[in-house]
Amino acid sequence: MRDLKHLIYFEDLLQEANNELVRKGKEDGNLCLGYTCYFMPEVLLDLPGCFAVRLRAPRCTSPDMASYYMSGRTCHYGRSLLERALEGGFNFIDAQLATETCTVTCRFQEHLDYMDDVINNATFKTSFTDVPFKKNENSIDHYRKQLKIKVLDFLAKEYGVDTSDEAILKAIKINNEVNDIITEIGNFRKLDNPTITGYEFSVITLVSMVCPKYLIVDKLRETLEELKTREPDDKPNYKIKVLLAGSENDDPDFVKLIEGCGALVVADRHCYGSLEARQHIDIKEGEDPLTAVARHYLLTSQCARFMEQKEMRHRKKVLADYAKEYKADGIIVESNKFCEYWSFERMIDTIVLPRDFGYPVCSIEKEYINTASGQLRTRFQAFVESVELKKIQEGK
Amino acid sequence: MKKPDLKKLKEVDFKKAARDFVYGKPHGERRLGDLYIPKTGLYKHREWRGIKDTMYYFNHIWLYNYGMIVRDLMVYGGGPKGMIQFLKGTWRYRWMGQTYLTVMHWFDRCLEGMRGETLAASAWHFRGIVSACLYQITGFFNRDLNIGGDPELRAKTIGTDETVWGGVIYPYMDQGGYYLPTQMIPYFVTCHCNNHTVLNYIDAVQAYGLPGDPCPMCQAEAGIYIEDDVPDSYVAMVTTNEACDSSVGTSVIQDWMMNKPLFAMPQVMQFDDDSVLENCAKEIEMAWRFMEEHTGLEFHWEELKKHIELQNKQNQFEREKWDVAANTHSYPINGVAQALYRIFYSQYGERPFWHDVDKKVRKIMEKCVNEDINTFPMTRHRVIAWSCAPLYYSAWCTWAYNCWGLNTIINMDSLMFDLDIRTDTYENCLLDIAKYHEWAPMRRMAVGGLQHIFELWENMEKFNCDMVMMYDQLQCKGMQGVVGLFEDEFRARNIHAIWMPHALPDKRTVPRSQIRQIINDYMFTVMGEEPLDPSLLDFDDSDSW
Amino acid sequence: MKKAKKKKNKVARFVKKTLGIAGLAYAGLFCVFYYDLDGKLLYYVVEPFMKNHFDNMERRDPHTVPYEQIDNEYM
Repeated sequence: MRDLKHLIYFEDLLQEANNELVRKGKEDGNLCLGYTCYFMPEVLLDLPGCFAVRLRAPRCTSPDMASYYMSGRTCHYGRSLLERALEGGFNFIDAQLATETCTVTCRFQEHLDYMDDVINNATFKTSFTDVPFKKNENSIDHYRKQLKIKVLDFLAKEYGVDTSDEAILKAIKINNEVNDIITEIGNFRKLDNPTITGYEFSVITLVSMVCPKYLIVDKLRETLEELKTREPDDKPNYKIKVLLAGSENDDPDFVKLIEGCGALVVADRHCYGSLEARQHIDIKEGEDPLTAVARHYLLTSQCARFMEQKEMRHRKKVLADYAKEYKADGIIVESNKFCEYWSFERMIDTIVLPRDFGYPVCSIEKEYINTASGQLRTRFQAFVESVELKKIQEGK
Repeated sequence: MKKPDLKKLKEVDFKKAARDFVYGKPHGERRLGDLYIPKTGLYKHREWRGIKDTMYYFNHIWLYNYGMIVRDLMVYGGGPKGMIQFLKGTWRYRWMGQTYLTVMHWFDRCLEGMRGETLAASAWHFRGIVSACLYQITGFFNRDLNIGGDPELRAKTIGTDETVWGGVIYPYMDQGGYYLPTQMIPYFVTCHCNNHTVLNYIDAVQAYGLPGDPCPMCQAEAGIYIEDDVPDSYVAMVTTNEACDSSVGTSVIQDWMMNKPLFAMPQVMQFDDDSVLENCAKEIEMAWRFMEEHTGLEFHWEELKKHIELQNKQNQFEREKWDVAANTHSYPINGVAQALYRIFYSQYGERPFWHDVDKKVRKIMEKCVNEDINTFPMTRHRVIAWSCAPLYYSAWCTWAYNCWGLNTIINMDSLMFDLDIRTDTYENCLLDIAKYHEWAPMRRMAVGGLQHIFELWENMEKFNCDMVMMYDQLQCKGMQGVVGLFEDEFRARNIHAIWMPHALPDKRTVPRSQIRQIINDYMFTVMGEEPLDPSLLDFDDSDSW
Repeated sequence: MKKAKKKKNKVARFVKKTLGIAGLAYAGLFCVFYYDLDGKLLYYVVEPFMKNHFDNMERRDPHTVPYEQIDNEYM
């Protein structure tokens, strides 16, 4: 396939957290608001005069200082973020909007709060939002209240941000614009012979999370236009199509590694994936924008921390439905080492998805940055081969 | 016949030998380590504590508790039928048949070297715990359909995750409503009593694909379900996210393996904030409605109030105990008895046997205070134990006192649940119950925000402690996530802290001998002290219960 | 009179015998206690026997446990 015009530019933007567009956004006089988890609605951090940056620690392979603070027995992602913070790599953030949605990222954010000298930025403050474990009306109501107090009131009081309904509506508008573009781009993955690779899509999705939206939206739109006329290769260079599910993953090279083994990643249901994060935010009739935001983020998530019986069981079916919709032949379920939610979820997925839904599963435990690529490659190659064989046996 | 060695005989100080026989050897001459049979933890013979204390141990602890176990089985089990159910359950469930028969050795380990009032008061705590265990064990077996239990009793029983506070059943107790924490007896207490069995459950869940790094407590809890070792004694289940991410994962496995109606009653993560209480309160009310629907029981406010008030009394007595522990040398309860009793009753909820124990302990404690008895006379350091403790070596406190004079005054888990619940109105009561849930063991400090975990400093001061035993649960993400900050604080505050690595129920990760070695090294090299009982420095108890 | 004396002797003998047996039982139990014979019996005989029983028990295969989709109202 022809190379995407902006791909190298996008890749460059992912090389560091404080990228060119983040710097530009700040030069324009905007507040830069950091967050780590989907449950901190990025739309509320994109209020006029602000922009959201989902924190990453690209190229951090050895978080030595962070391992002193958080030991070597916690999630590599949380430690890498702290390492980057200790190196001064997050000094550009004006505030961290935190959640205790998984323990280690919470601990990382608590370090930012507790250690005065980590973020060298005079305006820096943190605020923690409590996120419910259920999706009922009580939870939505609680979540809404939390967002009001811990995000909106915090931003208004500490930074003078306009948090009126009109301001939220504006933020929803720009978010929806990006969401719709990414969703449309993502739909090309549903084609029998997709015109976009999982790696390319992963890069595109990530830039939309780590750059000010108003500065990246044009290039995203251009890329969408480009894709509309992009021709697929005559002979596909993949053997099977897979859905990638699991925990935190903001490393496009991991997707590249999978694709290098012959499995095209056509759907992404993980913490930095698009399937949830890039859904259109709808406002019901008579609903105030904040309630709409709370409802949207709670109901769209398929995070493994949801505990209602119905939800615990249903999310396996959701994965199978995604696999069907995106014509995947198998599912790769990954979890970061030391991620507790996904360790349990992965175990069940590995048994239930093949048994009850007929999807072969490759169950992988990985690091934040995957230096052990040789071992992973062997696992993926074996999986691809087994699925291929299955397809041949089934006469597909 | 060999002639007696008169020379040697002459060297024996008969007066001292007679004194030791009558009063027991003084601390420092006991050589308790010599009593062990290598590897097993069994005794060549049990400790001679002097006539009075040995006979007290024999009559009032060993014989009494064996007898009371039979009595409890008969009373709680409802007579001979209950006894038959107990035997069936012992044959059916590993956690019962392979574990709890060794209960008196649990007493032995935890009460080594104790004398007088300390021996008595600590033993009463264990009596309370054992009674509570038997109450639950008979509760399980009488209702268990797997072994021919009574379906009518089962119909009024709610199973829960062990970290759901037992008070959720208070409003229904007058109608026969029954609460069974499904892991407390099959898992939690087993680790203390006999840590052999829990390893089967950890291995079972890993054999089905769970990685080895999540919290081993949650692994074991899930493993019980994987092994089909949870009795079918309840109609529906209430679960929770307490204490951590892994507990959520355990709930998913529980739900899959038992396939019963399940209500999730999660607690908020960021608490200490009035804005979150309403959410919790509503979830608790929904849990009550769920329980009513599945058991047919009705909500009785007066019944709830009655039990809450009794529970408040327990809490008030606990504070009196803390006051004595903090400000006198007359606190007669050793570290392990204090910790286990407190965590057990505050989690399981108010029941009559706790009050019986409290009455007896109060009497002993008052005597100690009035007569100014120094209950731990060889105390060199007053220790506060912080974070989550090694379940397979909860008796380390007893060892540390006997070997080094390290007297564990209080621990983190004991300080949770420190709340008197208001009963003036339903609304206030509900809000306080919500808060009570948030202050659950481990939940409040290990994952509940840095401000709580650092309550250590004020508690050190409050309890007049000069040393910290810093539990280092290697697989607790919440605690591992703050180790560096603790190190920094210990240095800045010039506090003596010993890091004790462990893996909750799994002794294979850090054996008990290694834990002792770490403490020994610190005491020798940093503190520059010599042991009170050198025979306890190093011994092999690798295969012991 | 003789009969009453005989009866009294019988009672005394019974009491003596009972006390003797009780005393012996008490002493025996003390030996069990002091020499940790209960622990040794459990450790070397009972636990290995029970372990063997539980290790060889037939158990449900978790793979066969259904995982039904449900639609309850308890959300």
